[in-house]
Amino acid sequence: MESTQNQIYHDSAIKHVSGKSVYINDMDAGTQMLYGKVVYSPHAHAKILSFNIDKAKLVKGVHAVLSYKDIPGLNQMGPVIHDEPCLAEDKVNFIGQAIFLIAAETMEIAQKAEKLIEVEYEILKPILSIEKAIQYNQLLSTPRIIKRCNADEAMQKAKHRLSGMLKTGAQEHWYLETQTSLCVPGEMNEYMVYSSTQNPNETQAIVAEVLGIPRNEVVVEIRRMGGAFGGKETQGNHVAAWASLLSYHTRRPVKIHLFRDDDQIMTGKRHRFVSSYEIGFDDDGMITAYKAELNSDAGATADLSMAILERAVLHADNSYFIPNISIIGKAWKTNLPSNTAFRGFGGPQGIAVIENAIDRIARFLKKDALEIRYKNFYGINDRNTTHYDEVVENNRLYTIYDQLINSSEYLKRRKEIDDFNANNEFYKKGMALTPVKFGISFTTAFLNQAGALVNIYLDGTVLVNHGGTEMGQGLHTKMQQIAAIELGISPEFVKVNATNTSKVPNTSATAASSGTDMNGMAVKNAIDIIKERLLTVALSEFNQKTYPNPSEIKNIVFYNNVVFDKIHPDRIILFKELISKAYLQQVSLSSTGFYKTPNIYFDRETGKGHPFHYYAFGMAVSEVKVDTLTGQNEVLRTDILHDTGKSINEMIDIGQVEGAFVQGLGWVTTESIKWDKDGRLMNHSPDTYKIPTVNDIPADFRTALLKDAPNYNTIHKSKAVGEPPFILAFSVWLAIKDAISAVGNHQFEPDFELPATNEVILKSIEKIRLLSK
Amino acid sequence: MNNSDKICFVFDNQLTEIDFTKSEFRPSTTLLNYLRSLPTHKGVKEGCAEGDCGACTVVIAELNQQNQLEYKALDSCLVFLPMIHGKQIITIENLEQIVNKELKLHPVQQLMVENNGSQCGYCTPGIVMSLFALFKNHHQPEKEVIEDALTGNLCRCTGYKPIIEAAEKSCCNHGNDHFTEKQYEIIEMLLSINENKKSISLLHKEQEYFLPLNLKDALEFKKLYPNAVVISGATDTALRQTKKGEIIPQLIDLSQIEELKHFTKNNNSIEIGAGLTLEKAKNEVENIFPALFDILKVFGSLQIRNIATIGGNIGSASPIGDTLTFLFACKAFVKLQNLTSVRKVAIEDFIIGYRKTDTNADELITAVEIPLIPENVIIKSYKVSNRKDLDISTVSASFRLQLSNKNSVEEIIIAFGGMAAYTIRASKTVTYLIDKTWNRNTVEEAMEVLKTEFSPISDARAEKDYRAMAAANLLLKFWSEISLNQKD
Repeated sequence: MESTQNQIYHDSAIKHVSGKSVYINDMDAGTQMLYGKVVYSPHAHAKILSFNIDKAKLVKGVHAVLSYKDIPGLNQMGPVIHDEPCLAEDKVNFIGQAIFLIAAETMEIAQKAEKLIEVEYEILKPILSIEKAIQYNQLLSTPRIIKRCNADEAMQKAKHRLSGMLKTGAQEHWYLETQTSLCVPGEMNEYMVYSSTQNPNETQAIVAEVLGIPRNEVVVEIRRMGGAFGGKETQGNHVAAWASLLSYHTRRPVKIHLFRDDDQIMTGKRHRFVSSYEIGFDDDGMITAYKAELNSDAGATADLSMAILERAVLHADNSYFIPNISIIGKAWKTNLPSNTAFRGFGGPQGIAVIENAIDRIARFLKKDALEIRYKNFYGINDRNTTHYDEVVENNRLYTIYDQLINSSEYLKRRKEIDDFNANNEFYKKGMALTPVKFGISFTTAFLNQAGALVNIYLDGTVLVNHGGTEMGQGLHTKMQQIAAIELGISPEFVKVNATNTSKVPNTSATAASSGTDMNGMAVKNAIDIIKERLLTVALSEFNQKTYPNPSEIKNIVFYNNVVFDKIHPDRIILFKELISKAYLQQVSLSSTGFYKTPNIYFDRETGKGHPFHYYAFGMAVSEVKVDTLTGQNEVLRTDILHDTGKSINEMIDIGQVEGAFVQGLGWVTTESIKWDKDGRLMNHSPDTYKIPTVNDIPADFRTALLKDAPNYNTIHKSKAVGEPPFILAFSVWLAIKDAISAVGNHQFEPDFELPATNEVILKSIEKIRLLSK
Repeated sequence: MNNSDKICFVFDNQLTEIDFTKSEFRPSTTLLNYLRSLPTHKGVKEGCAEGDCGACTVVIAELNQQNQLEYKALDSCLVFLPMIHGKQIITIENLEQIVNKELKLHPVQQLMVENNGSQCGYCTPGIVMSLFALFKNHHQPEKEVIEDALTGNLCRCTGYKPIIEAAEKSCCNHGNDHFTEKQYEIIEMLLSINENKKSISLLHKEQEYFLPLNLKDALEFKKLYPNAVVISGATDTALRQTKKGEIIPQLIDLSQIEELKHFTKNNNSIEIGAGLTLEKAKNEVENIFPALFDILKVFGSLQIRNIATIGGNIGSASPIGDTLTFLFACKAFVKLQNLTSVRKVAIEDFIIGYRKTDTNADELITAVEIPLIPENVIIKSYKVSNRKDLDISTVSASFRLQLSNKNSVEEIIIAFGGMAAYTIRASKTVTYLIDKTWNRNTVEEAMEVLKTEFSPISDARAEKDYRAMAAANLLLKFWSEISLNQKD
């Protein structure tokens, strides 16, 4: 393995494949440990008139049964707005809302105790859809509006206008590791909380608030999560707060590891949206006006819904310059679990609307949608300002488009598909190219900060602590590489520690794809500080003897496990040796580091600003085949070209691109979520909730990273990669629509929504069949 | 009967016994929960406790009739401990070796590392175990074989491509590895366990679990305990325990009875033993009953098919029961036996309601007899599901057609799953089609009859109108495939 180059393996790979990686549920907390169980509401909307937990407390092996009355601190766990009780008091607002907690010696005992809890409810009418929430005016907060020029006037003047509605569905995160937390009490008020959380800092804050103790008593640590995808950005906090409460009352370690069905029932999902839109364009397909109203289902509480809605509104343009535009975003409260962050964070929901609208323009004008997209791409020198006034700099849409059209043989295959469709009645093929332009940074500007703590030990090994969390994305591996490169040592001498709030405080969630960008810079900053000290030591070492030309700091290089003067290569010292010398000279070998993303601002009132540090770009072409008698379909081929700047680790980045794409593929096809008339989740296990299997990925799956594309002003010229490629799955979604459209020889606009399940597809096809008759 | 009261298996290369009278475990403790209770075997993960994700995959090595080891991946969350009696359990912790004080990964592990096959790592031990079984059973497998081996393992991070590549690169040593070196030692141990032919009764204060080793003992248990739940793979019954927390008081486990695992070719029929796993059945029927093969190919996952049996699929009489429509179309018979007699019931008469069968309290299903398909008869089966694989059918169907030499319909059977509370024939549609000329026009008219023949339900999988639409379209699909020769 070449040192410091971009081909090192995931830092946990060997542990993963040999079963040695320890997740929280695998930790041994000793024989005193109790199992925590959450007792939740069976009603979507009800008053709690009375309850009795006394019988449950008497069960042998039960150590605590708690209600909201047992919360010593604040009964709150809302991350942004305090609107989310830790345990319900007199009212429940969704099925799955926590009311009581049980700690018992085994899970079976806890289950037995649960059955003895008595609650009297007065059942109220629930609101279970966005439409109902609108009807009852259940607006969560002030709408988010971004406008440019006069969309109404331009719409009136437009040669052609199309309008419609689009529904995009919820999505369950389906991290393999369900929500988990283990709380170990220390002396007096000290609590050590192991929590599967993307945001240890916030978990620490909420545990402290709920227990009514200062934050310096609580340490939150996470070595790794078994997947998160946004689902543990805020909702990991809940399980940690519950485990801590049980630990507080029993003085024992308590672990809560949600059962799969409970996890699916209790936690929030990707926000479903109902959006209406109108788009104006000319004969060539140039878009002149676009109006959209995006309505999201926030669920019962605010959680991150407003930030998610904001990103939807900011991404309503996707990759297209629209001179006259008006985007309104509204989040609505319903009696469902509070919906939360999920890869893309509202971006996909905003982008779906314009991509579908463009698809309609193409059908209306009898052109390939590809042409319409290309025509409306943001320009390089003009037509390059977004609706929120940020200039799209370093636009790579054209470069990617040109390369991908060729490598995917789009035009040739389009013809082949037309021929196939002309000769087949019952199978139809479809193809689509879709782009993504994704803004990188937290849109809440102050969150764009990160910290690190780097320790060098006397054997020359390095321990990196940083505020980011590892959920599989390879963040720690990239931090290991960055530290190794900056110190000029082999990666095997660098270890990245479990994320721990006592090492690096006050950090932001590992989210918004920004983990590497921000923490990488903070790690570099810490190392720069240590290196500055080491340079002085090296200089004094090299200049001890009388040289005619003393070494200068600017010429000293850290590379290949040695430190040397590049002008006088014989002045050289082993890195390890330099560390010993520094120690003997009483030089500190540890430093914190800090980073804040420069030049980020956004005015919510005016909807203008510079919310993003830069944009990530990508494109995909997908081809599908649909069985028009059942709606069943398969992805025949997908070609992806994605921009990750100068990749820090190509293998990891390709893994992110493919993984995000396949997750998006699930969202747009099989991952259907329904609630029954009482608000009960119908798809609460993998029995009925279907994420992609190995057989659902494109039969021919080609992924490439854009070459020679260094980014500016980022760690090692790289780009964020976690979320943007999720959006490339729209190529599959619209390829399916293209195949449906082929049933009516592209004469009729198909009914369409997201996900395009077999059912949606077949019903759409049958309607076209009727129209064609 | 003179029964033994312990189970014995090979674990960490050692003979291991569990005496349930002294154990904290109930006999029906799942293998997953047993492993995770040990400090040394926490690599195995629970992802869903219902056999849908494969995070708990382990490999079992068992002796075949030639006393060679057969390696099978299975979901440890669905396996009750007594099912591993007489077998070797292989877990993720057993794959690596320490050579000259250095960790040496198994080829499937090494290639997973080198191909970036893991991200969060939670599904990885299960995936590695599926790859290990693939490695042992296939040399340079085709992509389809690799995908089949991995269908039962969900990964939410990678998009699977690097895992497929790891499989392609690692399975190229004819299955030779350090397990090959130790195989005779293991075979000796397994033989020593299997020397004891006494059936096993596991009596625990909350549960009685009977593990007969021959059919006679099984029938005796059934007579003595007519209310006991009969299991073989337990892929259905296990969920009552893992998902609903039920403690089943009495179980009779048929998984160890060799007499029920036969596949016999007679002159006019095939007999499949009730205890034959669906995977073995699938491999046997590929050329004889291609329509059954098509159904079994997309039945559950390899982990499920490795333990689920044909008898279990029939006996559970699920409204969908994927093999049932085919058996209807073939006019198959179910063989039932008690201590004194054997009887044969036509499959249609056997299924009498929602999860109800014509089985007497003292009887066991021993086999299914499928008449061979005459040359002039066409049988095809279809499965419509939301996801292609490892998904329960929204609608399943089988068609049997015999045309006269004037191209009119002489005989047709249409059987559906998912359209009613149990597998059902479309008799109105059939009446309409009989004696009519077999052409598109007739078929389209019959589809209109079919659309109104049933009143399917709306559920988590689909709305009723979609079911009706898809069911009718399957008839057209059947027609198009045999008349236009248009398939894919």
